Amino acid sequence: MSAGVRLEGLRKSYGAVEVIRGVDLDIEPQEFVVFVGPSGCGKSTLLRMIAGLEEITGGDLYIGERRMNDTDASRRGIAMVFQSYALYPHMTVRENMGFALKYAGVKKPEIKAQVDEAARILGLDQLMDRRPKDLSGGQRQRVAIGRAIVRHPEVFLFDEPLSNLDAELRVQMRIEIARLHSELKSTIVYVTHDQVEAMTLADKIVVLRDGRIEQVGTPLDLYDDPDNLFVAGFIGSPKMNFLPAELSGGALTLVEHGGQTVPLPPLGRAPQEGERVTLGIRPEHFRKEGSAALEVDVEIVENLGGETYVYARQAGSDVLTIATGGARGLRQGDRMTARFDPSDALLFNREGLRIR
Amino acid sequence: MSDVAAHRLDPEAAEPSARAALRGPDGPGRDMIGPAVKYIVLSLAAFVSVFPFFWMLVGTTNSSYDIVRGKAWFGDQLLVNLGNLIEQVDLPRVLFNSFYIAIISTVATLLVSSLAGYAFEIFRHKWRERIFAALLLMLSIPFAALMVPLFVMMASAGLINTYSAIILPTIANIFIIFYFRQATKAFPHELRDAAKIDGLKEWQIFLRVYMPVMRSTYAAATIIVFTLTWNNYLWPLIVLQTNDMKTMVLTISSLNSAYTPDFGVIMVATVITTLPTLIIFFLLQRLFVQGMLGSVK
Repeated sequence: MSAGVRLEGLRKSYGAVEVIRGVDLDIEPQEFVVFVGPSGCGKSTLLRMIAGLEEITGGDLYIGERRMNDTDASRRGIAMVFQSYALYPHMTVRENMGFALKYAGVKKPEIKAQVDEAARILGLDQLMDRRPKDLSGGQRQRVAIGRAIVRHPEVFLFDEPLSNLDAELRVQMRIEIARLHSELKSTIVYVTHDQVEAMTLADKIVVLRDGRIEQVGTPLDLYDDPDNLFVAGFIGSPKMNFLPAELSGGALTLVEHGGQTVPLPPLGRAPQEGERVTLGIRPEHFRKEGSAALEVDVEIVENLGGETYVYARQAGSDVLTIATGGARGLRQGDRMTARFDPSDALLFNREGLRIR
Repeated sequence: MSDVAAHRLDPEAAEPSARAALRGPDGPGRDMIGPAVKYIVLSLAAFVSVFPFFWMLVGTTNSSYDIVRGKAWFGDQLLVNLGNLIEQVDLPRVLFNSFYIAIISTVATLLVSSLAGYAFEIFRHKWRERIFAALLLMLSIPFAALMVPLFVMMASAGLINTYSAIILPTIANIFIIFYFRQATKAFPHELRDAAKIDGLKEWQIFLRVYMPVMRSTYAAATIIVFTLTWNNYLWPLIVLQTNDMKTMVLTISSLNSAYTPDFGVIMVATVITTLPTLIIFFLLQRLFVQGMLGSVK
């Protein structure tokens, strides 16, 4: 059973400091929603407000159809998985997983059946009598997830659950969480600062900054069609290149590239003559072909095997990141022509908002 | 660094003759002086620490005359001294008094002080740091300054010559509150969050999660508080006024103040008084070290 979550003008203040500044969001039942944003943007605070671990200063929180602002954390129908696992160190895996049920007054045989079922789903059968200190990081995280599963929550909350794991384990656990979501058909709200996790797991990504939502959308929506410079820069790795430009004579004059001009991207509403704008080009949108071209000097080359990233600039310009596919043989100091198709580029006004 | 310079500075890389020259005229002898001094100092310190215990044990087996004479080896008077002690002192009663006061004090102090330490660290309040600072400031008030008002308080409450008079003033131990607050900084707050989501109330979190997780802190505090209350002398001397209420420490004192003190008997009483704290220390030693290093890993 899973429920939707609705946030209406949700606010949180610590004294005079407002950290969540009116968040409105609809999360559908069975949806996998990921909160991303830079450190201090309020994503974990927002999750903790949903969990009932932080008081709500203003606005309304609904889980299913019930207003939950003043409901105790244990009665909200949620389960939470923490970054540090938060397993009780003095209890075995079985005791950890059954602890909440025991306090809810569930009978022992029922607890055993539910714990065994969660252990089977997560492959923890052989570890049930161990204590957390005898488990690896990945196993601990599975136990933490198991502890959440046995509660049969309406909404799962994950607070950067993979941050303490090494890179390989993180990939494994990511796949496992995706598998669990499709198996359990549950609503998941997931906080991360890892873009790969956000892009691969989410049905919907919520980008936060300074306690406000910047944009909500599917991963590819945010990637292809960001609303502003912040989202464009935050989603995508390596990040999008931003080139200051000015509109003159129906084309863009690149301020840091010796006044070179490139054609305008196709727009519904063209900016005014002389307006200062920012041209955004993703690293992979530089190609061998394209009507616009920039002459740049290579500074650093990163060969990743399947992909090569070149960091290059023109004298006086910011460094551009260029993905050259499998191209090899480029060296520091080489001069290269970075071509792109203006229809792939995005344009932002002086306030950082997208010009469409 | 050039090769030449490296060669000059590394004795192992140098030729044997050069190595000897680098070590100076007394060669390997100089390398041994440091450790030798260290071991001599450590041995002296060990002797100073252990000798009183040895002397105490030896004293239990010798007569008062031999002890005063300075006999420093075991004799055959242990049973005689023990018999004399049992004759002079109602040992079961005195031991019961000591254990009762020490155990109740320890349990109550740990419960109250750990609750206070937990609350000071976990709950935020604008007055929190000021109240805590005021508490710490009270550590600087000497007991001598508190003695008379405390006595008046106990007398007006009708508690003179009762166990409560000894136990009550020890329960809110500022040092132990401070110790628990510091230790609670290492308590993972996410455990508390997880317990809240699991449906535990605050007092249940304290009993079912905090206390077991912080057991090494409790062990260390148990040793400190038990030893303090077991060895408490001045305050019990003031408020306990009849023989049937006396503790072991007061009994030793009264044996010592006799017209002709029997040092053999005093030594037996001293060993009996020392044993419980030693046993508790050795039982909780492993946890004590963990507690002192920080409870939660």
